[in-house]
Amino acid sequence: MDELIYNFAVWLDDTRWSAMLHESYYMYNWVESTHVMTLMISLGMLFLIDLRMLGYALPDVPASKIAQKLSIPMAFGFTVMFITGISLFYAVPVRSAQSVWFRVKMVLLVACAVNAYLFHKRMNESVSSWDNDARAPSRIRHGAALSLGFWTIVVICGRFIAYDWFDCDYDQSGFIEFVAGCVPGQERF
Amino acid sequence: MPTSIFGPYTRTIFTGAVITGLLLFSFTYARVGVWIEVQPFFEWMETTWFGLIGKTWGAAFASIQAIHLIGLALLGGSVIVGDGRVLGLILADVPARTIIDRAHKVFFWALMTLLATGIFMACGVAMKLYYLPVYWYKMLALCTGVFFHFYIRKPLLQRELEDINPWLLKAVGVSSVMIWFTVAATGRWIGFSG
Repeated sequence: MDELIYNFAVWLDDTRWSAMLHESYYMYNWVESTHVMTLMISLGMLFLIDLRMLGYALPDVPASKIAQKLSIPMAFGFTVMFITGISLFYAVPVRSAQSVWFRVKMVLLVACAVNAYLFHKRMNESVSSWDNDARAPSRIRHGAALSLGFWTIVVICGRFIAYDWFDCDYDQSGFIEFVAGCVPGQERF
Repeated sequence: MPTSIFGPYTRTIFTGAVITGLLLFSFTYARVGVWIEVQPFFEWMETTWFGLIGKTWGAAFASIQAIHLIGLALLGGSVIVGDGRVLGLILADVPARTIIDRAHKVFFWALMTLLATGIFMACGVAMKLYYLPVYWYKMLALCTGVFFHFYIRKPLLQRELEDINPWLLKAVGVSSVMIWFTVAATGRWIGFSG
């Protein structure tokens, strides 16, 4: 599996557009800046929704209204983040595919998606009974707290990708080599 | 009395004048004298505990950077919701007063998080920042944002919104969003410079 991922990343790395994106100082920086700055829209909305459920933000605004209205800019923000995120991966595919932090981030993104699905399902089932309460019921609050926790770690992992502490071209422990998916004898980093 | 000349917008006009003065000062040769004067302060920043930790412990610096980003997300969220409501684009069916006041609380704590983590990060790379023009642009944008938010936007929006000229409301909302996105953009560009 690791070899398959590595070979796919090498193939991506060899494409003309990947090299162009990576080597273009301004284009790469614009894409990365857009990815980071869209946090203000996507995570900004998401955190406000989660904090509303926990009773820390906008407690006197109906929860359903917050979730419904803020989900539009949030979806826009996540769409831009998704596109720019794929572009960033495409620009540096081998190192990203073998980054411990990138892999943890991807797993957490799946966890975030599952949590968001369950959160909205539970909320839609019961919101009419607690819509105006300052704090949501405990099941919803747990979902909101999980969301905050997961996304905080996603941001931390995203930031850590830039650091080379666990890169495959350094001597790493067996555990790190396993998690990063380092391929014995690989020549591309 | 200035109040009688400028009417209810005295504070707004004076703060606007201060921001304009700050901008003019920053783009004239007069700033060089101040820049030389503050160099010892930046040298001292690197010798503080924050500076030593930031320079020697990469994981701590990176973790604080991540918290800075989370603060940025919260600040962005509060600005978009607060100013989106001022512009009538978000939560238009909820009383504006409620949204503006509640969003301000989130904004305040997000700004505190950004300042605390930002000071830590600046200590770690103080001399690099000192020589980076984009860092000074960010400080200029940040000062403009703080002055604008606390001395123009907040006092203005404490009045009954119906009594405020709708065009002024729109100008304040758009300006606020633009200023804070400029702060974020210049901050991001620091990472690409030097």
